[in-house]
Amino acid sequence: MTTASATRVGRAARAQGGGRWSPPEALPWLAPLLALATVFFLWPVLNVLRLAFTDSTLLRDDYAYTLQTFEQVLSDPSLGKVLGVTGIFVAASVVGQLLLGLFIALIVQRAVARKLHGAVLVRSVVLCAWVMPGVLIGVVWQIVLNEGPFGLVNSVLAETGLAPVSWLSDTKLAVVSVVTANIWRGTAFTMLLLYAALHTVNRELYDAARVDGAGRLRLLWHVTLPQIRPVLLVNVILITIATLNTFDMILSLTGGGPAQATEVLALRTFNSVFVSFNLAAGCVFAVFLLLASLLLTVVYRRVLGQEER
Amino acid sequence: MTAGSARRARIDDGLNYLGLLAVLLFFGIPLLWILSLSLRTQEDILVTTVNPVPASPTLSNYGEVLSSAQFPRFLVNSALLSAMGSLGAMIVAAPAAYAFSRMVFRGRKGLLIAVLALQMISPLVLAFPLYRYFASLGLLDSIPVTGLVYVAILMPLATWMLKGFFDGIPTELDDAAMIDGATRWSAFRRVVLPVALPSLTAVFVIAALLAWAEFVVPFILLSDPSNLPISVGILNFQGNYATNSTGILAAGSVLAIAPAILLFVVLQRYIVGAFVAGALKG
Repeated sequence: MTTASATRVGRAARAQGGGRWSPPEALPWLAPLLALATVFFLWPVLNVLRLAFTDSTLLRDDYAYTLQTFEQVLSDPSLGKVLGVTGIFVAASVVGQLLLGLFIALIVQRAVARKLHGAVLVRSVVLCAWVMPGVLIGVVWQIVLNEGPFGLVNSVLAETGLAPVSWLSDTKLAVVSVVTANIWRGTAFTMLLLYAALHTVNRELYDAARVDGAGRLRLLWHVTLPQIRPVLLVNVILITIATLNTFDMILSLTGGGPAQATEVLALRTFNSVFVSFNLAAGCVFAVFLLLASLLLTVVYRRVLGQEER
Repeated sequence: MTAGSARRARIDDGLNYLGLLAVLLFFGIPLLWILSLSLRTQEDILVTTVNPVPASPTLSNYGEVLSSAQFPRFLVNSALLSAMGSLGAMIVAAPAAYAFSRMVFRGRKGLLIAVLALQMISPLVLAFPLYRYFASLGLLDSIPVTGLVYVAILMPLATWMLKGFFDGIPTELDDAAMIDGATRWSAFRRVVLPVALPSLTAVFVIAALLAWAEFVVPFILLSDPSNLPISVGILNFQGNYATNSTGILAAGSVLAIAPAILLFVVLQRYIVGAFVAGALKG
């Protein structure tokens, strides 16, 4: 890899040496990408930053520059609650997806190696959840957890003689429900990545450790996980960003309720603009989201850079 | 292998099957339940039961959904937007990915990281200014314009994945073509693209699936019900049918999920490989 790119650099340096300046060869190849990136990414991001410092709303066109929106957002007593819910939602989802994804990757890998039946079926069903539109996932879980007669979970409870549980109307349980649905949705991604990573683990180390009498959990902890560490780290960052930006599923599952108990940062951003029509406040929240994603991207690059060395 | 370790392996196989079964139930049952509800009459839905087989199965919910004025339109719009978005993203991303893979230019590495950073930006952040801007230009509620936004948000991932695939194709192939007098462009089109066809298919399908699931952009830029894709339209549907006709909502959900799942199951092998390659290289 390094030698290949080194010869490529050398070749290009020779080709460029001593000529007049001409536009880089790559420019026409990159031009459409750069144009779209400017119009649909760079320009909107700059505008979000600008609008965050205004009093802009969706109800009128003109606006004035002010710091008031920032002050309002930061002094809003419900902000702490939103950040708290976001923290719980992201942390629980990431931990849940990571553990479940690792578990599925391990058992599917073992099943394939032992030629057991059903491994591909299981992998396919897990992936089906992942390709569904978020709003539909909310609709599906809204039906499954429903407190009406057609709610699956409560029907099962009734069958076993237990009292129904208010999965969506209790403020604490609603958070559990939202996290569960998000784990259901996102685990496939972790499963895919870790399944691929497990194939890179050096088998000889297992045999050596087994000779030393290591148990299964110790093998996992001391042999497997250290070897797939870089993928684990990248995985955590990617699913953190994805979860941080999730709100479509919550919109149709709980709508952020009951009593804003499941209103995460991305949903608050959305609601500020499309429920309260406060464009500037939405942009302030969008800046928060942007900063969080940026921070995670930097960490991501660091992690990758470190592992490459 | 000793008798003891063989027995041990059989016990482990049993545990392995148990694990697979638990995972299958957790991920499969919600989908099975929706399918079951979609085949029930309204009276059956109101009976509390855990039996997934409907007492008197009916397709009437599906008939109702497909004969509604809006639902088939939602599906068509989703297909249009997905096709436009993923095709456009391929057209934009393939040459860029080729340049990143084969050419040396100043700022190449920085630019690659910038493309990755684009991938991290939530469409929610982009949609607010675009809404204002399109409103002032009178471009709201246009499927082609919204499709162009799809192209933009799908292109970073497509670029990264395709670059990974092009890196895996030996440069000798293009070099040989160019020694024979081909330009870079025709080497790319006649030699590299055909070799990369399976990977192109995979990236196209992944982009189409992501487009099918896209919510924020169409929600904000489209408003007329006749322009909405299914990912947004189902919200209207949920509002209309949730309380008294769950069977119809369930049938609508099945119809909305089915195209994505079918596409995915048919092309699963490509997708799994492509996604892992792209994500690991990213």
